[in-house]
Amino acid sequence: MRPPFFLHRHLLTWASIGLFLTLLNATTSASAATTTQTQARLSEKHRALLESHCTSCHGPAKQKGKFRVDDLPLSIATLEDAERWQKVLNQLNSGEMPPEGEKQPPRTLKADFLEELANVMVTARRNLSDQKGAITMRRLNRREYKNTLRDMLGVEINVSELPSDTGTGAFDTVGSNLFMSGNQFEQYQSLSREALSEAFDRVAAAGIEKKIRIEAEETFKAITKNIQELRDGAERAEQWAKAVEAAAARPENATVVAEIRKKSKDAADFRRSWKRIVGAPAPEEFGFKSVENNADKANGALTYKQNQGNGLYLRPALDYYLSLPHLDTGAYLSVAGGIHLNNSLLYYINPNWPPGEYMLRVRVGATSDAPRERRFLEFGIHPRSGRVMQTYEITGSIDAPQTLEIPFTLTRKHTSRDDRTVFIREKGTLDHFTQTRVVVNKGRAETGFGPKVALWIDWMEVERKTTAGAPLPPGLAALGIPFDDQAPEIAKPELRKALQRFALEAFRGTPPEEAYVDRLLGIYDARRKAGDKHSAALKETLSVILASPKFLYLAEPTPDDQRRPVTDAELAARLSYFLWSAPPDARLRALAARGELQKPAVLVAEMERLLADPRSEAFVRSFLYQWLGLDRLDFFEINRTLFPRFDDSTKLAARNEIYETFGYILHSNGSLRNLLKSDYAILNGVLALYYGIDGVRGEAFRKVPLPPNSPRGGLLGMAAIHLMGGNGEVTSPVNRGAWVLRKLLDDAPPPAPANVPQIARLAGKVLTTRERLMAHQEDPQCTSCHRKIDPIGFGLENFDAAGQWRTSDSYQLVNDKGVPDPKTKKTWQINPGAAFYKGPTFRDFFEMRNHLAARTDAFTRSFSKALIEYALGRPCGFSDEPLLNAMVQHAGTRNFAIREVFAALVVSNDFRTK
Amino acid sequence: MQNLPSLHRRHFLRSTTALIALPFLESLGFRRFASAAAPVAPPKRMVFLGVGWGVTEESWYPDIRTPGPNYALPAGLKPLERHRKDFSVVQGLWNKFSNEGHWGSTFWLTGANRYAQPGVSFSNSISVDQVAAEVLGKQTRFASLALNSAENGDASGHGPGLSMSWDIGGKPVAGLNGPLAAYHRLFAKDTTPIEQQKALLAQKRSVLDAVLEDARALKRGLGKRDNRKLDEYFQGIRDIETRLTKEEQWLGVLPPKAPLNEPQSVIAGYEETKLMYDIIFAAIQTDTCRVFTFRQPVSSLLTSLDIKVFPHDMSHYHTTRAEKLDASQRRDLAQSELFSRFLDKLKATREADGSRLFDHTAVAYGGNIRTGHELTNCPTILTGGGAGFKLGQNIVVPKNTPLCNAWLAMLHGVGIQAERHGDSTGPLREILA
Repeated sequence: MRPPFFLHRHLLTWASIGLFLTLLNATTSASAATTTQTQARLSEKHRALLESHCTSCHGPAKQKGKFRVDDLPLSIATLEDAERWQKVLNQLNSGEMPPEGEKQPPRTLKADFLEELANVMVTARRNLSDQKGAITMRRLNRREYKNTLRDMLGVEINVSELPSDTGTGAFDTVGSNLFMSGNQFEQYQSLSREALSEAFDRVAAAGIEKKIRIEAEETFKAITKNIQELRDGAERAEQWAKAVEAAAARPENATVVAEIRKKSKDAADFRRSWKRIVGAPAPEEFGFKSVENNADKANGALTYKQNQGNGLYLRPALDYYLSLPHLDTGAYLSVAGGIHLNNSLLYYINPNWPPGEYMLRVRVGATSDAPRERRFLEFGIHPRSGRVMQTYEITGSIDAPQTLEIPFTLTRKHTSRDDRTVFIREKGTLDHFTQTRVVVNKGRAETGFGPKVALWIDWMEVERKTTAGAPLPPGLAALGIPFDDQAPEIAKPELRKALQRFALEAFRGTPPEEAYVDRLLGIYDARRKAGDKHSAALKETLSVILASPKFLYLAEPTPDDQRRPVTDAELAARLSYFLWSAPPDARLRALAARGELQKPAVLVAEMERLLADPRSEAFVRSFLYQWLGLDRLDFFEINRTLFPRFDDSTKLAARNEIYETFGYILHSNGSLRNLLKSDYAILNGVLALYYGIDGVRGEAFRKVPLPPNSPRGGLLGMAAIHLMGGNGEVTSPVNRGAWVLRKLLDDAPPPAPANVPQIARLAGKVLTTRERLMAHQEDPQCTSCHRKIDPIGFGLENFDAAGQWRTSDSYQLVNDKGVPDPKTKKTWQINPGAAFYKGPTFRDFFEMRNHLAARTDAFTRSFSKALIEYALGRPCGFSDEPLLNAMVQHAGTRNFAIREVFAALVVSNDFRTK
Repeated sequence: MQNLPSLHRRHFLRSTTALIALPFLESLGFRRFASAAAPVAPPKRMVFLGVGWGVTEESWYPDIRTPGPNYALPAGLKPLERHRKDFSVVQGLWNKFSNEGHWGSTFWLTGANRYAQPGVSFSNSISVDQVAAEVLGKQTRFASLALNSAENGDASGHGPGLSMSWDIGGKPVAGLNGPLAAYHRLFAKDTTPIEQQKALLAQKRSVLDAVLEDARALKRGLGKRDNRKLDEYFQGIRDIETRLTKEEQWLGVLPPKAPLNEPQSVIAGYEETKLMYDIIFAAIQTDTCRVFTFRQPVSSLLTSLDIKVFPHDMSHYHTTRAEKLDASQRRDLAQSELFSRFLDKLKATREADGSRLFDHTAVAYGGNIRTGHELTNCPTILTGGGAGFKLGQNIVVPKNTPLCNAWLAMLHGVGIQAERHGDSTGPLREILA
């Protein structure tokens, strides 16, 4: 679980509040002067290139393709101009213009022109789509909808059936990109029904306590039974085989037997034709009675006795397990032996145990000779999906085991056997069959039977905890009437008031219209008349409220479309949905009601309070996921044969490192510079082991000091970031370089152009990565962007595709069928030295990182842009330049302390204006 | 987009016995609907036929070294010989996210990644037929039909799902299990009293009325820009109303007289498949529906062919071959025969303008599994004139081309300009004439 971060509640002093007031004025006057936006303008010097290479065919005299360039304005101010310039850009990029045989522009000139045009086009598009500060009303996105139900009803439901809100390139808070459909309306209603049912059930079952302990040695019975069955099956199969051979030996069968033998590849194959042999018994007579071919089953069973198949691999693993000590008091988590042994331990939770908060306790110890990397235990629900939810480091031993406490939640939706089955297993042994194969083969090579056991379990205990006496969640408290069917009939006026109160809560303080409540009462009545009981009719009625517009939309009414300051209540909602993705809590609403929230000091103090609350995790995760493009982490499967150490637990920890590091900086109000370079990393045991850093034990992430020569620390030291900059097998310097430009340097390259001719002539050649990428320098279309991108990627080549440090790399040819040819393999020492385009040179990653860290202002700008878009729910346009500058400058005077950026944003006019 | 909402929904409550447009089909001699007097182009239809546990690799696929029209028709496709010039086999397609060896249909039409959603162990996305139904389904009583055999899909290697169709949210679309259910849905009168049906619809409407009340209250406070946003909500509600209206509109309208007899309740395997094809054909013929998926039985097909091999066992014929291979090949033949017979029917029936139903129907036949657990080079046959397929060819595309590229091209072929589908990277032009 997360360690509690120490909180610096009052880092922002009154002195800095004074600064905000100045800042506030600055943005007020600046936003009035939006005409000063950056112009999308090409420099005059490029006119010459167009005149000497284009105008003769596309000018006043001739207009081939009805297109002329001589009258193209250098300033792109309209969509029409933008389209015409786009055409020029596309034609040059695809190499179609100037046509073959015509005089071609000099390479550097063309590259420079392409670079500038592509960037000016980005500027133009951004200008043309600028919302000029206007914020479109938006509905709750998927996360906010879920959290809002959680805060109202006290339950978390799975909302994955709602359509995803991302994918448009904007943050999922941008109202103009959040749509609504009829289908969705029905989903909202059904999800609300689900949440209400869950909430009602939780209240009904609040006092129920359940507990069961399972001694691990009980598995021994099943294991011995398994082994006995294998032995017994082999015996029966052997008898059947003998009987078939005996029948085959009869003289009357001689002809047919000879014929079958000729066609059979071995004795087992021969027995498959037992039916043709007179007197041969059916395998069914020997107990093989499956629905499939039982001769095959018998042949399979027999291998357990023979030195092949099961006999070769399974038997030694089972024999080894049986020879282990402590089987009478516990059980081992095994690796070899598959499902015949304990490759995972499962517990199926009684379907009669109600939804609620649960605790799994595991008493566990490691064997004395278990190496460090094998002392980790994975926990999850749904063994078939096998998704790891948490990884625990085991420090206990068999003599002195430790007791893990693993909290989890079961909901009404956890009805299937899989959904009610918790599992534990050794880390990195069952993620994927290709990985299990690697691990087991490695063990076989060492011992002959497979990996030795490492973890021993004494017992497992599952408990459902009581929540009796806990206050009702706000939504149900607001309702204020019984919702079970035993209660006496509720009088109309009372029901009416209850619906009003619930709607008021759901609508975040806006009272519902009378006519609306009348309709709700009508629905309740109709359901009762149709035969529904009270609770069912009530649920149906409340679910309508939770699918109504005033619940679903964060509305800030402005009938005349004039800009106006937001009201206190609107400000409260903006702040809480920004930092919690959830509705304002009672304190925030009370401050708003008293009219105090508009005071900068109060607003900033509330911002601090919200950030310190665990609910801010919703911000950290969703903001980073979208800002840094972490969806790429799930784009491809890591090649588990190449990177066996990068197992599911490590991937989970690597992903969490990003969130935890940012969270640490946020909660300690650290400098944004630490995300570029830092002398510490935020690690847990699994990740420290992966990075080869000693002295970190356990599942909690914590601050770990790094030696000066460590490549870790900051985003570019993180395995997950490098994983994204590759395809799970090999690195992509281009992806990495573009990511650094886009996210860290606020210098995003223009979008990759369509139809650029691919460089095909290098196929089939054995080259280093760098040699291959140098081809980009030859074509102006490529070099116009790649001269900026590629060098940064070269500087990161010491990180392999799984983020491990390396000093050499290799390449070999692969044929059409995907088979590599080792004869062609070439290995080289990585040279990470390069130079930023028109910038300083660097000899290695460390020097490059220093250059990047010196650009914290650019990084703060990139971060602030993203924060503006996320917080305000609209793209950050050029009209936001004054705000952006104010945020960066303000933070800059405070060592880029991260919360200064937040504070500058929330007190700004933009945050407080509709 | 069609603008139905201009007709106030309440009108339909009074006109539940209205005549419903039926296309003129000479074979049945239907009377042309008055308002459709002007000659209209015959409508497009789409049919997706899923075969579950794959096919036999060595005898179903044409040789990839002989692409084009002059390939040797493999044994497994022999029953389709008479249609040789009218279908193409496409090779090299796959769904890159699929890694479930027993799920022949779950992702076949979606191309989804089951682990795409964090926090859940399964997710899917919209299937291509549902994308098509959005457009092609507007005019007919049923926007689309998802048909299954009566048996459980798992036994036949189809994988999870209530049918082969998945809705826009990636949720399973409930299918009609077996010919009897399909027949009743299409051709039998609703047994619920109309009054009760109306009450149910009225209840759904009262919910819409309530949220509209709230929406109107909200609307009063909003400026132009925000109102445009709220319009989406109104539109959503209108869409639901349109659907309820469709239900209402057809309420009490007798379905077309069935061009076939009511199926017996106990029928499985070969005969069942044949009947399901007949029902699809009848639905096309009467223009009751224009988009179909059919998840075919495999387990009961084997039983009806008197094959004793367990269906899953059959698909793993590689190690032992012998009777498993034989079963696999006989399965291919039976499926090809049934398919061939369906094409006969489509070709034999004429539209009003003299063209064949076949010319306006686009059919995809195949599945996500090649054989065993092999999920590359998914078996794919494309036929019909509805999407402008290149026919009569052994089309070999680069290995591991997204199957969704074919679906995208198919959508484009019937006039639906979708930008992408599933993991598509662009329409597969190689399959279009």
